[in-house]
Amino acid sequence: MSIQNLNTFDPFADAIKSSEDDVQDGLVHVRIQQRNGRKTLTTVQGLSSEYDLKKIVRACKKEFACNGTVVEHPEYGEVLQLQGDQRENICQWLTKSGLVKPEQLKVHGF
Amino acid sequence: MDDDMIFDPSLKKKKKKKTGFDLEAALAGEQGESTSMETPADTGDVDAPEDDNLDLDNFGKKKKKKKKTFFNLGELENALPETPPTEEPEAQEDEVMDDLDLDIDFTKTKKKKRKKDKNVDELVTEEDVRGEDQENVEDEHGEWVGSDHDYSYDELLERVFDIMREKNPSMVSGKKQKFIMRPPQVVRIGTKKTSFANFTEICKTLHRQAKHLLDFLLAELGTSGSVDGNSQLIIKGRFQQKQIENVLRRYIKEYVTCHTCRSPDTILQKDTRLFFLQCETCGSRCSVASIKSGFQAVTGKRAAIRAKTA
Repeated sequence: MSIQNLNTFDPFADAIKSSEDDVQDGLVHVRIQQRNGRKTLTTVQGLSSEYDLKKIVRACKKEFACNGTVVEHPEYGEVLQLQGDQRENICQWLTKSGLVKPEQLKVHGF
Repeated sequence: MDDDMIFDPSLKKKKKKKTGFDLEAALAGEQGESTSMETPADTGDVDAPEDDNLDLDNFGKKKKKKKKTFFNLGELENALPETPPTEEPEAQEDEVMDDLDLDIDFTKTKKKKRKKDKNVDELVTEEDVRGEDQENVEDEHGEWVGSDHDYSYDELLERVFDIMREKNPSMVSGKKQKFIMRPPQVVRIGTKKTSFANFTEICKTLHRQAKHLLDFLLAELGTSGSVDGNSQLIIKGRFQQKQIENVLRRYIKEYVTCHTCRSPDTILQKDTRLFFLQCETCGSRCSVASIKSGFQAVTGKRAAIRAKTA
């Protein structure tokens, strides 16, 4: 008979699971920046470096019909940039593709 | 195996109960043959102390009753010649009573007692017994409230809420006090700037430092801006009142309302580089996220930046 205590609820189950199953850890910040006129820029910061951001941006560009790029930042790592207000689109796409969980997404801006 | 089980709380509980039961059984066994008739009635699951209490009470009651019967007997002695045989069962009863003192089950003994009464002397009228029994029951109720009777969770919950309502009615009745705030006045200045006219006023109503709110607004909107001489905030970029309202709402949710009780009566303190939200209503204290603007893409003219840094 094994120790009963271990059969009950494990408070660290979440932590263990998320670190094992998911590559993505930490929040993904989706921001918007205004440019000149009514143009805007969407940035996605905090995606795991395990993901191939170039492939993601290629898919996003095609999906949202916008241009985009991957920018390397010394502090924040690789950041995805997309033209236009793509906050809704990128959130849906990231969750639908299973790259990021909805609770890991944090949308900033107005 | 026992050691294993000790770690599990639920199991332990069960075990405890079980042991209690065993003890009782053991006690009953020790008491000997006289109690053997009570042991089958001992369903075991009921709390032992409660039963004891009741028994003790009953014991007292019964004693009284007995006295009464004695009295009756005394009276009867004069009238009837049957008294000597009745005395004997009485003594037996005494023995049983003493056992009862330690005993567990109550209903059975009561029944038995009644039976005995009837056996002892049918001269004690039925009505008398019944009246006494009713008294007994009433007394039980009183004792039931006073004793450590095992209340169910729902009962206790109801009770505690009743007490709460009684003690401070303001807490329960419509405490949902709405947090009323004046809407931000947002005006466009030219084509590229926006003015947030009542910025300092809103800071005051929120009881927050202007700098903190300013930092948050600028970080969220991803722009730059400053407070001008008329205590209004000038933000670079075009923003509508609705958008500013949205950001303010997020600020209030994160930095003003208590995360536990949602009361807006809070104080924001800075402790060793971390911001803490202290609630004045419920006294909870929790850390809040620091304001970070995060990654900022280059939106202006690159030539200008190059000129600045070089």
